[in-house]
Amino acid sequence: MRTPYSRALRLPAALLLASLAACSGGGGSSSTAAPSPTPRVVEAGLSQAAKLGELIFKDQSLSASGKQSCATCHSPDNAHGPTNNLSAQLGGANGDVQGFRAAPSLRYLNQNPAFFFAKDGTPTGGIDRDGRAQSLAEQAERPFVAPHEMANASKQDVVDKLKKAPYVEQFRAQFGAAILDNAEQAFSRMTFALQAFQLEAPEFHPFDSKYDQFLAGKVKLSDQELRGLALFNDPAKGNCIGCHTSARGANGAPPLFTDFTFDNLGVPRNKKLAATADPAYFDLGLCGPDRTDLTARTDLCGAFKVPTLRNVATRQTFFHNGAFDNLKDVVAFYVRRDTNPEEWYPTGADGVVQKFNDLPPEYRKNVNTTEVPYNRQPGMAPALSPSEIDDVVAFLGTLTDGYKSKP
Amino acid sequence: MNKHLIATALAAAFLAAPLAATAGEAELMARIEKMAAELEQLKAELKASVKKTEAVEQRQQAIAAAAPAPAPAAAPVMAAPATEPAVAASAPSTIFGAYGEINYNRPTKNASGAQADVRRAVIGVEHRFDQKTKMVAEFEWEHAVVSADDKGESEVEQLYVEREFGNGLRSKVGLYLIPMGLLNTNHEPTAYYGVERNFVETAIIPSTWREVGVSLSGDTAGGLTWDTGITTGFDLGKWDAAGSDGRESPLGSIHQEGQQAKSRDLSVHAALNWRGVPGLLVGGSVFTGKAGHKADGFTANDARITMVDLHTRYTPGRWDLSALYARGQISNTEALNETLVGNPTPVPKSFAGWYTQAAYRLMEVGDYTLSPFVRYEQFNTAKSYAAVPQGLGVAASPDEKVTTVGANLKVGEGVVLKADYQKFKEDKSRDRLNLGMGFSY
Repeated sequence: MRTPYSRALRLPAALLLASLAACSGGGGSSSTAAPSPTPRVVEAGLSQAAKLGELIFKDQSLSASGKQSCATCHSPDNAHGPTNNLSAQLGGANGDVQGFRAAPSLRYLNQNPAFFFAKDGTPTGGIDRDGRAQSLAEQAERPFVAPHEMANASKQDVVDKLKKAPYVEQFRAQFGAAILDNAEQAFSRMTFALQAFQLEAPEFHPFDSKYDQFLAGKVKLSDQELRGLALFNDPAKGNCIGCHTSARGANGAPPLFTDFTFDNLGVPRNKKLAATADPAYFDLGLCGPDRTDLTARTDLCGAFKVPTLRNVATRQTFFHNGAFDNLKDVVAFYVRRDTNPEEWYPTGADGVVQKFNDLPPEYRKNVNTTEVPYNRQPGMAPALSPSEIDDVVAFLGTLTDGYKSKP
Repeated sequence: MNKHLIATALAAAFLAAPLAATAGEAELMARIEKMAAELEQLKAELKASVKKTEAVEQRQQAIAAAAPAPAPAAAPVMAAPATEPAVAASAPSTIFGAYGEINYNRPTKNASGAQADVRRAVIGVEHRFDQKTKMVAEFEWEHAVVSADDKGESEVEQLYVEREFGNGLRSKVGLYLIPMGLLNTNHEPTAYYGVERNFVETAIIPSTWREVGVSLSGDTAGGLTWDTGITTGFDLGKWDAAGSDGRESPLGSIHQEGQQAKSRDLSVHAALNWRGVPGLLVGGSVFTGKAGHKADGFTANDARITMVDLHTRYTPGRWDLSALYARGQISNTEALNETLVGNPTPVPKSFAGWYTQAAYRLMEVGDYTLSPFVRYEQFNTAKSYAAVPQGLGVAASPDEKVTTVGANLKVGEGVVLKADYQKFKEDKSRDRLNLGMGFSY
């Protein structure tokens, strides 16, 4: 007999299963997955919490400067990512404090699993570039109070600002008349609302790129884009699908272009980040300093989360430290990092190229040098030629949301 | 060893054996004719006996109906004692059976790849509700241990009800084996030569291949058996172009096995088998159906999968000769393959294979029977691909050619010990020695 309790749980459980099954990150696909590839609750409109989330997302008054909202660094007009080429966005009370990492796009995080180690030990999932936030709500906490972001003094400070917001009565109506009396609880309702907005609003996961329409047989890719796709998929060429899945799942779910794992690419040190002026400063991703639970796992030092490549062509800053500002260089870095390291790393006084110079020497062995296209050495041909790099870049352009075919 | 020579020799043996069986051996022919006559006589006696039994049963039923307080109908009793007077037929209504095999494979060029595996353990249950209606179920465990963290599988391999209508007509409903080839419906380890099932009937015909559906079969005079049915089919949406499963067995990688099987598109199958001459079987079959299931936004909803096979087996005297050809086709995959460019395993347009096999009952000592055999097979799981823009396609695979030489040692009727050596023409790293034990009852 079905109890009211089990009935109430049915929809969320189905959504959870659908989203988990869609993840290819080694979590093991559940055979009980719901057949629908994408949760489609959005057609019913946003819940009240999600509507509040949208207001909070766009509310600049919730920052110390009064000029910064979530949408400032995660612009809805630019795939919910940054609109400029700054290595890290500026924040603080005067909007002049530089952060430490490039702001990611917030798109397609609705299917991002919480952090876990897969059966084979592969770290997988989690939100943020080091996977430390277990949910979108948890991720939403820090920007409000981080000195280099919205720079509020405390959660109480944020809630005090919320009390003056024009939608505060809606907030009370949704979460209880006394909700604002407890800053901790009020703040958690704010992040809950932000999460609801990101999960529910179709703008965060529209699946309407040219590539999506191509997968559905509605449009053709150009010759160059198709060549780029082939190079992207080819295990002996780009081998991009090693981490950035490009095929629909067995249940028909559209590809997310990430397997939610972590990789150590040995990205060059970025002098544009003020923090790097200190030679002792290293951002080691999974093993710290922002993340603190895996500091003992030195084998993971330098590993950062594989981001989705959807909308990658809309970005002007790439990798965790924003070391690159155009996509062509990024693709070239992947295939020429090991054949032509001098193109990417400085040469020391001894004339030796300082490969992987954004990692302390003892962690440089953690860099992935075994998989295609990294498995090469100087003197060998890069996995992709310059024209093939152009092809891959052209293909990546098909992953931008909102494609409209010409009539 | 020259494979062509072997193939030719096998073909020659195939052709020569019947000649050898008939040439000169007038005495043998006479004996066969005598036996055939005896068989006819036995048939007639059996028929008479069945009629008599039916008459007795009818009388018993009439008596039972007339009785004032009939005993409640007895539940099906397993292995009911034959002497029990209430049970009219001497056979129990529920029968349990089993088969299993444990194999050892040792790649000759890579001994570290040697492996022993409890390949399968199967429990079969057959329950006869009445003379005309029975249920058949087969439950299987593969690779010894089944859990979320282990590699084994647990599966319901068959689960159907069969009803006989008289006139040689019968129908199945449920999960049943597709009647194709020689091995699929006859896959117990005691039924085939060699430790491993042949490649053509695993890589091309995805044995053990079963679908959920309804079938109708019949026997006609002259030894002709026909089967036809409508069933679930394959799910092309499961195709994994980045993996290797589709290259090992195209249909094996997208079968549904009655597991929440997508059924928007159904498939049909038909088979004809002729056993008009004692010891000879000649047959063929076809299976076809769409495999896209109108999935939302799927580019291959018009893809159709078609399998055909031709097979023959001839068992004159001590010989056991067989040959089989199978070919599969997947149509309308151009758009799907275009989305998969660069991947190592696009959907093939065609895949095919054939084999010929000769076994000889060399020695019979007590209840031991030793049968050496040789099998030559050619197969290709990616014989051709639908066209994709120039330069983006994957080259069709070459035919793999495998020669298997070995022997089955039967112990009684239910147990078999096997040993063989397999030599591969294309991928020589796969050459291997196999040992196996199997049983079936």
